Amino acid sequence: MVAITRRSPVVFDVSPSRQEKRDHWNVALEYPGEGEGPWITDLCHKDRWDVQDGDLVSLASDTLPIPEGYGQVALSPEMSVNRMNRTQAAVWHFTDQPGPMPVVSSFTETTEATVFLALYGPRVFAVTEKLTGLDLGGPDKKPPQLVQGPFSHVPCQIVVAAKSGEYPGILFTCSRGYARDMVHAVMDAGQEFGLRPAGEDRFKQWLNRF
Amino acid sequence: MMNRITNLPTLKIDPSKAVSLKYHDIPYQGCAGDTVATALYAGGVRIFGRSLKYHRPRGLYSLDGECSNTCMEIDAIPNERSENLPARDGMVVREQNVKGSAEHDKLSFIDKLDWAMPAGFYYHTMHKPAALWPLAMKQIRKAAGLGRLSPDFRQTGRFDEIFPSTEVCVIGGGPSGMQAALSAAEQGLRVILLEARPWLGGFYDYRTVQDDHAVPLYERGRKLAEKVSAHPGIRVLTHTSLVGTYNNGLVTAFRRGSSEDSFAERYIEIRAKSVVVATGCIERPLLFENNERPGVMQAGCAHRLLNTFGILPGKTAVFAVGHDLGLEAALDLHDQGVNIACIADLRTEGQNPDLLKALESRDITYQPGQTALEAHGKKLLTGVVLGSMDGSSQKTLPCDLLVASAGLTPVSGPLTINKGSVAYDAHTGSFLPDKLPENTRVAGRILGLGDPEAIEASGHLAGLQAAQDCGLDSAADLQKAEQALAELPGPEKGTDFVIGPVSGRKSFICFDEDTTIKNIKQAINKGFDVPELIKRFTSAGTGPGQGGIPDHNLPLFTALYQGSAQESVRPTNRRPPLTPIFLSTYAGRNHDMAKRTPMHDRQKQDGGIFRRLGVWRRARYFSEDLSCRQEVENVRSNVGIFDGSTLGKFRIHGPDCLKALDRVFVSDMHKVKQGRIKYTAMCNEDGCVIDDGVITKMGENDYFFTTSTGRAGATVEWIRYHTRYEGRDFHMVNLTDAFGVINLSGPNARKVIEKVVDQDISNEALPFSGVKGFSIGQNVEVFVMRLGFVGELSYEIHVPSSYMESVWDLLLEAGQEFGIMNFGVEAQNVLRMEKGHIILGQESEQRTNLLDVHLGFLWHRDKPEAKTVGSLALKQAEQDPDRLKLVGLKMQEAKVPGDGCVIVDESRIRGYVCTIRKSFSVDGIVGLALVEGPLAKPGSVVSIYEDECKGNLLKADVVPLPFYDPEGARMKA
Amino acid sequence: MALTLTCPICGERNGYEFKYGGEDKGPRPEESGLSPEAWCDYVHMNNCVAGVQKEWWYHRDGCGVWFTTERDTTSNLEIHNAEVS
Repeated sequence: MVAITRRSPVVFDVSPSRQEKRDHWNVALEYPGEGEGPWITDLCHKDRWDVQDGDLVSLASDTLPIPEGYGQVALSPEMSVNRMNRTQAAVWHFTDQPGPMPVVSSFTETTEATVFLALYGPRVFAVTEKLTGLDLGGPDKKPPQLVQGPFSHVPCQIVVAAKSGEYPGILFTCSRGYARDMVHAVMDAGQEFGLRPAGEDRFKQWLNRF
Repeated sequence: MMNRITNLPTLKIDPSKAVSLKYHDIPYQGCAGDTVATALYAGGVRIFGRSLKYHRPRGLYSLDGECSNTCMEIDAIPNERSENLPARDGMVVREQNVKGSAEHDKLSFIDKLDWAMPAGFYYHTMHKPAALWPLAMKQIRKAAGLGRLSPDFRQTGRFDEIFPSTEVCVIGGGPSGMQAALSAAEQGLRVILLEARPWLGGFYDYRTVQDDHAVPLYERGRKLAEKVSAHPGIRVLTHTSLVGTYNNGLVTAFRRGSSEDSFAERYIEIRAKSVVVATGCIERPLLFENNERPGVMQAGCAHRLLNTFGILPGKTAVFAVGHDLGLEAALDLHDQGVNIACIADLRTEGQNPDLLKALESRDITYQPGQTALEAHGKKLLTGVVLGSMDGSSQKTLPCDLLVASAGLTPVSGPLTINKGSVAYDAHTGSFLPDKLPENTRVAGRILGLGDPEAIEASGHLAGLQAAQDCGLDSAADLQKAEQALAELPGPEKGTDFVIGPVSGRKSFICFDEDTTIKNIKQAINKGFDVPELIKRFTSAGTGPGQGGIPDHNLPLFTALYQGSAQESVRPTNRRPPLTPIFLSTYAGRNHDMAKRTPMHDRQKQDGGIFRRLGVWRRARYFSEDLSCRQEVENVRSNVGIFDGSTLGKFRIHGPDCLKALDRVFVSDMHKVKQGRIKYTAMCNEDGCVIDDGVITKMGENDYFFTTSTGRAGATVEWIRYHTRYEGRDFHMVNLTDAFGVINLSGPNARKVIEKVVDQDISNEALPFSGVKGFSIGQNVEVFVMRLGFVGELSYEIHVPSSYMESVWDLLLEAGQEFGIMNFGVEAQNVLRMEKGHIILGQESEQRTNLLDVHLGFLWHRDKPEAKTVGSLALKQAEQDPDRLKLVGLKMQEAKVPGDGCVIVDESRIRGYVCTIRKSFSVDGIVGLALVEGPLAKPGSVVSIYEDECKGNLLKADVVPLPFYDPEGARMKA
Repeated sequence: MALTLTCPICGERNGYEFKYGGEDKGPRPEESGLSPEAWCDYVHMNNCVAGVQKEWWYHRDGCGVWFTTERDTTSNLEIHNAEVS
């Protein structure tokens, strides 16, 4: 009998040193030699929703804080709600078991549509600068902020979570099919700065600062 | 190290770290911090190569790469600028353009034949008689260019690119550039500072004279550099050469990597709101006979050889200079033991009296109003003739070093390539910035300034002006800065353009192209009377140095010779790249970004041969048999499994979604039902079919549709474009990558799938054209469509991508007893062709409309209120009998022509073959073609032209479609 | 030439991120009674202004919005608050 497994499209060249099974996913908690940063963490197993409605504001609630301005992001250790335009927002969950998606036609489950990565730690913008002309760490960016634009030549949705302090970082998604080449491009660009894959534990430590 | 002075505070070398190069198979010891040229110079090399035309010996002249004198072949790369390239251990260096060696060049006799090669020689000698031309061309090609690139050469090293955005980009890391960067950064702006040398400091860096506070300039420069480097708002990119400046604040450059960097060269594309050009000056070559003889060099070159690299440039030096920097160099050289035989100064006034006093106190002979007239020496400099401007009071002095420098030339290339302009300024004798490009500021010596305080103040001002460009209100600061600059010394009086009474036969105005004063006169006498024309006729300024040497001299000499005003001439235009750059650097990393399906790795393991198809990598074959016979037959007789994940998939919802669908799809979208799929198509405005797919209703105002693989990326764009004026309330979600698609096809397909799904999947429960949700395995929700693209019983299973591999495994397990097998894109192509199903882009090109491919039945003509894209054009096209039509072909002979072969008659092309294959399902070679209307009737015979047919056209019969299972009984079974 | 465009959602961006959507010609005409020539003019004929024109752009690599902007076709610079000729 075939065991049902959910597979992330992300492949690193090291295997995790600790992982756990969660909703058929093998979630990496830690990688060997994670180093001093910057880090990249695979978040493909995190639930994502697309919300589109002519009256988007009416869908906002305490549990779903949809920001008012385009490009604004409501970032918490539980989720990131990214206001994309007048009618659309993206919801990225960080918790292990987010509640069910509201049964309203405005919502679409998009967990499977994208690859979801976090890139954080020291010199992270020196890495991103090699991959995109978007000035993610630029003075005009007010984290948390959403930037929709090309990253390694692929359209991405990028949340600049923090740009200064000890732990600057971004979260981003792009079409799932690009996962392998995207990770390769990012790892390649980050090599000179010591970029290493990190597990979910380190990501959570970072996230809990918000 | 024996040949170095190691106790100078200005040194940039580390004599304790040796670097070894090989030149002529002889090791040369340099040290860390050396360039290739300085390492060789320290080792005694004086002749670095031979000149382009006359094979004259050439040596170190400027140290900043303004001419090709020191271009060498380094590690098999020709034309490397050895005076800029840092020396690295193990480099192998060769001289260029020699037959023999640089010292003993067998072609040096050509120098005596210059009388036979006047300006424009090639233009008016080599074309008559015509028969001579092929011969002449061969010889000219042999002589053209300096370096030689081996055809087997492969560029190694890592090339890279970055795209930084910034508010202010400062070009030039000298005193004014550093000040500009600081004052902009202190306004809270982000600044990128570019410097061509490996360190900041500009012309402060090697100067020992003291400012008003008794601080030597090099120290003043270092303090500034420290401040700049420590400022968090300033990003310093040293060893970075400018490539170009463009409108809208685009600046391109490239950076040479040091041994610690991860790249050999990195291309840099900067977007700035404001650009400060603080490029300073280069020196203006002094014109006299043999003015490029090895041993002749510019003042900065000699000065930096000593102060930066610790090398004594010669034993006995004569100076012929026109500015104080030359006097400073003479003093420093003297103090380190060089015998200064004489200093001829073009000027008779305006010298810094302190410097004159210092010369006097050292008993150095100083002769104002004099210049060099001729350099002596067969290969190397042995002496120089000095004299006054009119040629009187000549005397010859023996020497091995002649420091010659007529004045300063502002580096305005970054302005003029971006449509800025320069104008002649009589006070400085230079072309100074006139009209500046938008949001561009200038600072420092480019403005003619010479006083350190003034240079820095102009930088400070430029930084504030740049801040203003960025939208900062700095009016008060600006006024203060302007005031401060106004109180400081203005531009320095420069020397006039002078040239002694020489024949000009060996006075070179351009070293790269061996253009002499005499050549310029010849060009002007022929009527080429402006510098841009002279440049083209004599090729002056077209070499690797891009006019660095002739920059000011060419227009000024032109004006002088013609007796016209200096204001009437301009230096010739520069063009990017301002600094020679590798094509590999331009190419950058060029990381290929392609999509992979969730089954990618498994299909690879299964022996899939992958091809890049659009943005995807797809398994095209599963065996070396490119006819895919086994894959095809297994689908026809048994069951095959295919990864169709690349199919475009979209959800569209919202109150106006039907209106949007009716706009772009040709069918009546109101008829789309839940539980059923409808095949339909999209056209462009010309009625040409651009996409086909299926659509189903998921709920009220909620639809799911698929597109072809190639169109998925443009679908959202297309639908939004064609509804852009109406402000409709509908929403799309691109789910292309969210679902893997398994295509299970063949007569045994149902037997396989029914083993794994949770509900009845009989022909009654899920008939052809039906769609239904199922659960597979441990509650994996999938939805299954009954389609017939390959012409068999077929299930298209849409699986959430992360579950794809597991569901695939379940099906393989269930299908094992039937011998389930992979089939790839090519097998699918054959299967659907046999069934007469089209693939857009294969059975269509941009002129093929919906009717041509017999899909007119999809078109609902009666919805004018929808304003369907393409419907008006289709109505017109209906009247046209001459259009190409899709037909079936059956070859009369056993040869398979290639896809795309044209169908011809005696006089013209009548159509082309779209897809044609040897069929295993029906007998013979069959295919699809687009042919002109009159040929499209079954029974016609067409002639196919193939490249290798040697005039024997291949014959094929036009036959009815489809070839396979015309009733469709198999796919509906 | 470096083209910068201002996306109404994302702000100023590099021109490479966008796809050109043609001159602004107004909404699609009504189909009934439309002559083929008039239709062809709407679809294919352009004014090709040497100067400022209003035109459509798609933020392909970004937020995916179609918007209009004014651009001087002679300088390739976006003109804010332009008088469209």
